[in-house]
Amino acid sequence: MSFLERLKGILGRGATGAGAHVRPEMISCREALSVVYEFLDGELEDESHARVKAHFDVCRSCYPHLKLEESFRAALRKAAVGEGAPQELKARIGEMLSRGDDT
Amino acid sequence: MESKPSTGRPSFEEEALPHLDAVYRFALRLSGARDRAEDLTQETFLRAFRSWEQYTPGTRCKSWLFTICRNAFLRRQERSRRHDEIVQENVVGGGAGMEPVNPVWTSVMGVDPEGEFFDSLVDETILEAIDGLQEEYRSAVLLSDVEGLSYAEIAELMEVPVGTVKSRLFRARRLLQKVLYDYAVEMGHLPARTGTDR
Repeated sequence: MSFLERLKGILGRGATGAGAHVRPEMISCREALSVVYEFLDGELEDESHARVKAHFDVCRSCYPHLKLEESFRAALRKAAVGEGAPQELKARIGEMLSRGDDT
Repeated sequence: MESKPSTGRPSFEEEALPHLDAVYRFALRLSGARDRAEDLTQETFLRAFRSWEQYTPGTRCKSWLFTICRNAFLRRQERSRRHDEIVQENVVGGGAGMEPVNPVWTSVMGVDPEGEFFDSLVDETILEAIDGLQEEYRSAVLLSDVEGLSYAEIAELMEVPVGTVKSRLFRARRLLQKVLYDYAVEMGHLPARTGTDR
């Protein structure tokens, strides 16, 4: 085996090895989907979060699942956040606290 | 220059009062009526004020207020023995397990895979769907999705393990999605059955 061939072999292995390190460890679709809520709720550890995010970033079949959950959540939040306490109630509570403070 | 109260009142005003809207919002969804929500909010703030010394500074005041509010609601509910809201856990899909693939997604994958139909629903429809949930599910989903509490905070508030919070959230979300999907189909926002050929 010539020196050049050996060198090619070493470089080739080296390149493959480096590539494997750069690529994040992929998880399966089932694994990613099973923690989609924990992922969206920010309940995963950093490492798991990164792994799940990497999956959703590249998996075309799982990505819409994530989007659907996000659309659902946005609609829910928009509907429920809309109504605040009436001014009259705020005034009544403020008054109650003043009275409570006096006694 | 005005008289300064010697108790923790200024701190109560600073820490608790900013959450009045959030508490009212939560009370409204729990009780289902504005007058009851007002009473509940008032009771919450009165109780919170009276037991202000029990509040641990540095912890989430919002979460503490929600705990008081929910307990007050549950006490009232028990008092009036209202069983009409009690719905079996398996209202939809009989014992829906923790199946990772969302059945609603399977139904819309052909026409609206990213669930844009949720955005076309009016707020009242969504609120009605939330109000139709059993209290445990309703509270879990409101505290998480609307108020942004963590699983640990919700677990402490509802006095259940974190695992129970997770399963309640899972079921609540799936139930809501199913109800809203059915409504969207009924209203013609989505075709009746799609994506079933595969």
